[in-house]
Amino acid sequence: MSQTQAFSDDFFSAMLPEMLLFVGLIALIIIPNLGKGTFRIPGTQIRLPWFLGGQRFALTSNPRLPAWIATITLAGAFAAVADSLNGGVDALTVVSSSTDSAKELLEVNGFSRVFELIFFGALALASFSSMNRLKVEGTGGKLSEDQLYNNRRQADFYILMLTCGLGMSVVALAQDLFVLFIGLELASFSTYVLVAFMKESKAGSEAGMKYFIVGSVASGVGLYGLSMLYLWAGSLQFSVLAEAFAVSGTEALPLIGIGFVLVGFGFKVSAAPFHFAAPDAYAGASSPVAGVLATASKAMGMVGLIRMLLIVAAPESSEGSAVWLVCIGALAALTMTWGNIAALGSTNPKRMLAYSSVAHAGYMLAGLTAVGAWTWDPSFAGKEGEAALLVMTALLFHMLVLVAFKLGAFLVLSILESDGDSSRLSSLGGLAKREPLLAFAMFIFMISLAGVPPMAGFLSKLMVIMGIVNVGVGAGATSLGELHWVWWLALLMVLNSAISVFYYLRVAVVMFFEDPEEGREGALPSGWQVRTSIFICVVATIMLGVFGDSVLEMCRTAAESLTTKW
Amino acid sequence: MQLVGFPVVAGIVLLAFVANAKKSAHEKLNNPIRMASFAFSLALFGYTTWMFFEVFASIDLDNGIIFNDYKLYDSYEWFPALGIHWTVGLDALSFPMVWLTTFLLPVTIIATWHEKNGATYFPTLLLMGGALIGVFVSLDLFMFYVFWELTLIPMFFLILNWGGKDRKYASQKFFIYTFTASVVMLLGLVTLYLMQPDQIGTGGKYGTMTGRTFDIPTLVEAATNANMDGWYMGESMQKVLFVMLMLGFLVKLPAVPFHTWLPDAHVQAPTGGSMLLAGVMLKMGAYGMFRLPLSMFPHALQHFQMALMIFGMVSLVWGAIVCLGQTNLKKMVAYSSVSHMGVILIGIATMQPMGWAAALFMMFAHGIISPMLFAVCGAFKHHYHSMEIGAMRGMAKHSPWLATSMMFAWMASLGLPLLAGFVAELMMLIALWYFIDLEGWSVLWMIGPALVLALTAAYYLWSMQRTIFEGGDETQPPASLHGDPVPDITNEEKLAMLILAAFTILFGILPWIGLDMMDSYCRQFFDTMISNGIFKGGA
Repeated sequence: MSQTQAFSDDFFSAMLPEMLLFVGLIALIIIPNLGKGTFRIPGTQIRLPWFLGGQRFALTSNPRLPAWIATITLAGAFAAVADSLNGGVDALTVVSSSTDSAKELLEVNGFSRVFELIFFGALALASFSSMNRLKVEGTGGKLSEDQLYNNRRQADFYILMLTCGLGMSVVALAQDLFVLFIGLELASFSTYVLVAFMKESKAGSEAGMKYFIVGSVASGVGLYGLSMLYLWAGSLQFSVLAEAFAVSGTEALPLIGIGFVLVGFGFKVSAAPFHFAAPDAYAGASSPVAGVLATASKAMGMVGLIRMLLIVAAPESSEGSAVWLVCIGALAALTMTWGNIAALGSTNPKRMLAYSSVAHAGYMLAGLTAVGAWTWDPSFAGKEGEAALLVMTALLFHMLVLVAFKLGAFLVLSILESDGDSSRLSSLGGLAKREPLLAFAMFIFMISLAGVPPMAGFLSKLMVIMGIVNVGVGAGATSLGELHWVWWLALLMVLNSAISVFYYLRVAVVMFFEDPEEGREGALPSGWQVRTSIFICVVATIMLGVFGDSVLEMCRTAAESLTTKW
Repeated sequence: MQLVGFPVVAGIVLLAFVANAKKSAHEKLNNPIRMASFAFSLALFGYTTWMFFEVFASIDLDNGIIFNDYKLYDSYEWFPALGIHWTVGLDALSFPMVWLTTFLLPVTIIATWHEKNGATYFPTLLLMGGALIGVFVSLDLFMFYVFWELTLIPMFFLILNWGGKDRKYASQKFFIYTFTASVVMLLGLVTLYLMQPDQIGTGGKYGTMTGRTFDIPTLVEAATNANMDGWYMGESMQKVLFVMLMLGFLVKLPAVPFHTWLPDAHVQAPTGGSMLLAGVMLKMGAYGMFRLPLSMFPHALQHFQMALMIFGMVSLVWGAIVCLGQTNLKKMVAYSSVSHMGVILIGIATMQPMGWAAALFMMFAHGIISPMLFAVCGAFKHHYHSMEIGAMRGMAKHSPWLATSMMFAWMASLGLPLLAGFVAELMMLIALWYFIDLEGWSVLWMIGPALVLALTAAYYLWSMQRTIFEGGDETQPPASLHGDPVPDITNEEKLAMLILAAFTILFGILPWIGLDMMDSYCRQFFDTMISNGIFKGGA
């Protein structure tokens, strides 16, 4: 593993995606302001054009321009990540100085790259489809002040999209809890505003406010935990903390500290009982933003959990099992069951998807429990790490494919939102008659979420179950009593999948069977961008389910690079 | 393999074609799409029939069919990381089912020639057929499960789009009920998969990431060739997995008390959906039992023999009793299916080669007879706009064709000698005698089947009396027709009935065409088990 310092050559080549985002961000701030502005040299009549301000050019005054800049930037970052994953990632650690006491700040490896793929993919699709979601009030010269202000919002929205991406990738790269926290807050604050950005309904600002308050409380609790960990170990470096945990991790102070930190991340992955703000936030946000919350933001929370639990709070020796195992196991069981049961009763499709996202968080937590159990449960002491690797691969793959169908489902709702409303199940009514291909896409997303083969959702859920069972079976359990308790999490997971079929199918039934609402029989609002995004999601959902082998291999390499311990 | 790919691709192409067309053009498309689907299904039928003569008819049955040996075997890598392969093959277990599916597809299309929205209906039938064939030809657990669940989707839409009044409720109940059982089965499959010893680095069939394989022949071989001690699975784990897998299959079969989805699904499904549902989809459950738990967990099978026998008896008797109380024709036929599926379970539970062959032949015979039952029900509904038994009286006078078809189908289903159903029921009774004799069980066990023979005759004859014969003199058309003249069935329906009747007679008189193959398979299986010391010697 090579090391480098910030702003060296290696740093720039490894951080290409982040640099692209940075450039895009600057461009997004400057370009929409370019105009015929001139600068008069004092004392003369010579006016030098300096392009800032003044009458804007036709191109730069186009309200669609920020969307294009953001989309191209994010897509470019996505391509850069994909390209570097394609050739096998050389791990590179960014350190603070060249001395021995240098602190590790960021680390680029396959693991963080896969997460960047998830973040940028989701954000690129969301910003591309937001072009049809955020209304543009006229283009051209003569616009009222209100219209101009409204068009200005476009730039703000996409700037937040980019900062969100930047923050998320910092979380994935961080090797220091403090750096991680900065990234987390950058991304969180962007999402708080993005949620409140929907001005069409009052629900938007309420949702943003609620999300902000609950989120900042969660962050505050997490920060408090961080301070405890710092007090205890004297550093927030992962490596230092991990060593300290290995020696005296069962002391009260670090345990309380890590408990608090878990609350912070638990909110981000919307694990029960920290999920209460999520349904409101999703329902109030515009659909593409809600899609980002359900995929990229959740993946960001998972990175935090994985780092904290598997790297930091894991005892080196196999003597004491990691204390958090039972905790997370119980949390997983609670989260998936609560999410599914709450989704059964929700009649707002966005709230339903929010609860389904809670349920998916439960599945991921169950996978995380299995990794922990395999690595640190005393009953598996001395076993090789293949089983844990399989679960980790499954988790990465699950988060990756989730972008395709979960975001896709939100994008379909986004079109309905532009049509007027998507807050009732009946707003989906007659979709099959209004636009058959869209109904087909929604159906694919729903059955993929439910885990029906041959969609990607089935393969990923199967992988997670397989990984958990692998740990549960251990090596040579021959009776039910000899199975490790995580096997029961797998059973709970399949039963929950069965429950979830009900509310996913209900959507299909409404789309294909019921008539459209009064006055909504006509064609849906046009917009090729969002439809292109949905098309990409459908293709990815099917292709990753049927020909996902190479992506699986990629996730495996990524999982291997998380730590060499397995 | 072309068998799966062909109908699926054809169905998707046709559907895509329809989706692209304007709504107004759908009416015009009905006929060409119907013709194309029909031609596709006929070609498939021709192909499997050719396959029978080319491959299966030429096997020397006395020592030709070897357990766990497959004809037309093909295997391609699919997910090498997980040891998943696209593996297909046919043996005496799966070939009759595949032939049955391809036989029923064109017949179903003929019988429901005038179904509304034909442009999407017929391709959906093709998709359904493709998924069903996929279940039967799969020799890979993953692939098997994928097709197993895939059959739900076209059936869900068949019920939802073309079904009766409560189709919304019925289609969801059908999907959720069977899906729940399937996911438990899936967990069983995954646990079975991961119980194998880790063979990482072996490559080939074994996954590069997991070191296990989903290959069914490999798993079956490991299970049958090893005694209890040599295998990787303890006896108690074997029982757990047996129960988990059987749950999935018993719900699909369905056996009482897991049968409650069936009457709803059948009553609401369109005729074509019912024909495929009863004809082939229920057989998936029995087929899955034979393919997986019965072949893989012989010890558990012996342990749960009694439980299976009870399930079988209860299904047989309960189904028949419930039939007596039905006033809805289609519901009655649906419950009679439950009753007949009990025969399959009893045949399995006898643990005799003959009992197993009876179960296999019952699957096949019921697969021809029950579509005819549902075709009759469909025609009845189509022409009299009601499913109530009392809605039409004196049918013999008004609609002689329908009356004759109904009589024939009812008779075939109640097990009239020289028709296909009789062979299977007779074999089951003989095997049950053998079994009772061998185990020293009480002769009282025969009461169930004997009772059911009487009950079956009772409910079928009673319903015929009420619809066909009674009240013929009054020549009073049913109220549901609102004074319209009473029609007889259409020519297409007549043709479908004739084909189904012809094959029912063919397999009643010459059952050996299919039965020899099944019998040889079962004998081979029991010989293998006995020579491996897993079963004690039987009749």
